[in-house]
Amino acid sequence: MADNTTVIGKATRVRGRLTGKADVDVQGFIEGEITVSGDVTVDSSGIVDASVRGRRLLIRGAVRGDLLGEESVTLADGARVVGDIRAPRVAIALGALARGSVETVEDRAMSPASARVQSVARPATSAGHRGAPATAGPSRAVAPALVDRSTPKTQASVSASASVATATASADGTPVHAGPRRPPPPVVPSLKKAKAQILKKRER
Amino acid sequence: MAQARTTNRGSDTRIGGAARIRGRIHGEGDLVVEGHVEGGVTLRGDLVIAEGASVSSEVVEANAVTIAGTLEGDVISSGAVRLSASARVRGNIRGTAVVIDDGARFSGRLDCEFDLPPELGGVSRSETRGRVSTRR
Amino acid sequence: MASTVIGAGITIEGEITTEEDIAIAGTVRGKLSAKEVVTIEPGATVEADVQGGSLVIGGALTGNVTAGDRVDLQAGARVVGNVKAARVTIADGAQFKGNVDMDL
Repeated sequence: MADNTTVIGKATRVRGRLTGKADVDVQGFIEGEITVSGDVTVDSSGIVDASVRGRRLLIRGAVRGDLLGEESVTLADGARVVGDIRAPRVAIALGALARGSVETVEDRAMSPASARVQSVARPATSAGHRGAPATAGPSRAVAPALVDRSTPKTQASVSASASVATATASADGTPVHAGPRRPPPPVVPSLKKAKAQILKKRER
Repeated sequence: MAQARTTNRGSDTRIGGAARIRGRIHGEGDLVVEGHVEGGVTLRGDLVIAEGASVSSEVVEANAVTIAGTLEGDVISSGAVRLSASARVRGNIRGTAVVIDDGARFSGRLDCEFDLPPELGGVSRSETRGRVSTRR
Repeated sequence: MASTVIGAGITIEGEITTEEDIAIAGTVRGKLSAKEVVTIEPGATVEADVQGGSLVIGGALTGNVTAGDRVDLQAGARVVGNVKAARVTIADGAQFKGNVDMDL
């Protein structure tokens, strides 16, 4: 994997949503949701109670949740998956076990852009998954202001401890908080006008 | 196609590439389909659907099943089911193991028996989360 | 070896058509049509109308037979039905009940 990899270590438990433009390597436990534009690996020690969405998914551990690969989903020996699998290419090796629907699809309906659009339209808890997003409105999942992170490992350390932590780790470095706080307005240039209007509204 | 044979060679059946069957196939022995079969298959033996072959059936029941061709219908296997790269399958698959090679096209449900680790619910076969207890 | 072989333990109920030849050691019920040689092995049971390029019958056949070329009943053959072919041979020991029509 690239240097730009978020690693959830073996002794780490994450409860929340992990989003952004990065690769993810799950060696520990995560409950919530993983939506990234990079590759996701669930190691043999990984336990994922979340839907996982990424470019190429490689599963060697246990997953309860849907797997959506923009390019591929591969279940290697040792994988245990309960959930739906969707990708243009799906491979399941001998020794991997799965239960759920499988669709090898060739449409591009799972590009990161449209994936985010979908997650906006959906309620905060995605269908069939009982994760705890611990977030306010769905607009936070959009996070169009993606900033490339330089120190991905620090993000994992936010929740890195033997005890269960409730955190929402955003792999692109934008900290996201639970609670009623309003998410930062998008930094898209074309929305500068809208931003001004939003600020104006706040002042009223 | 190396796979464990579960029956004697003596009663092997092959539906050649130039053959077409519309009806039920059942019995004992291994079956290799190179042609086209429309109808149920119930086999006490291994089933191979070769590349270029097609089977369309409500249910296909066999021991080990190897699919390199096209299958429309459900598979109930008492052994392992394998979809090779040229497989095109639409239907639900149940077996002790299901192997899907990269390149295979599959649309349907997989149903393998296994337990997730306890952190993910342990015995996840049941849809109901709780257990009903009538203790007082 | 025939391009299609129905093994001894297998039963097919329905219609079989092939552009090539077929050898049957098991059971076929329904209809059978082959462009080339149809071989019904000893021990096989065929309850069907059979159409073939030619037929070699060593087992049990109940049904009407039409062959473009020849029909040969071997010693173990037990045939009930009408046979229509250019040439017909019935070996010693074969059992046959039906009409033979060699008028083509």
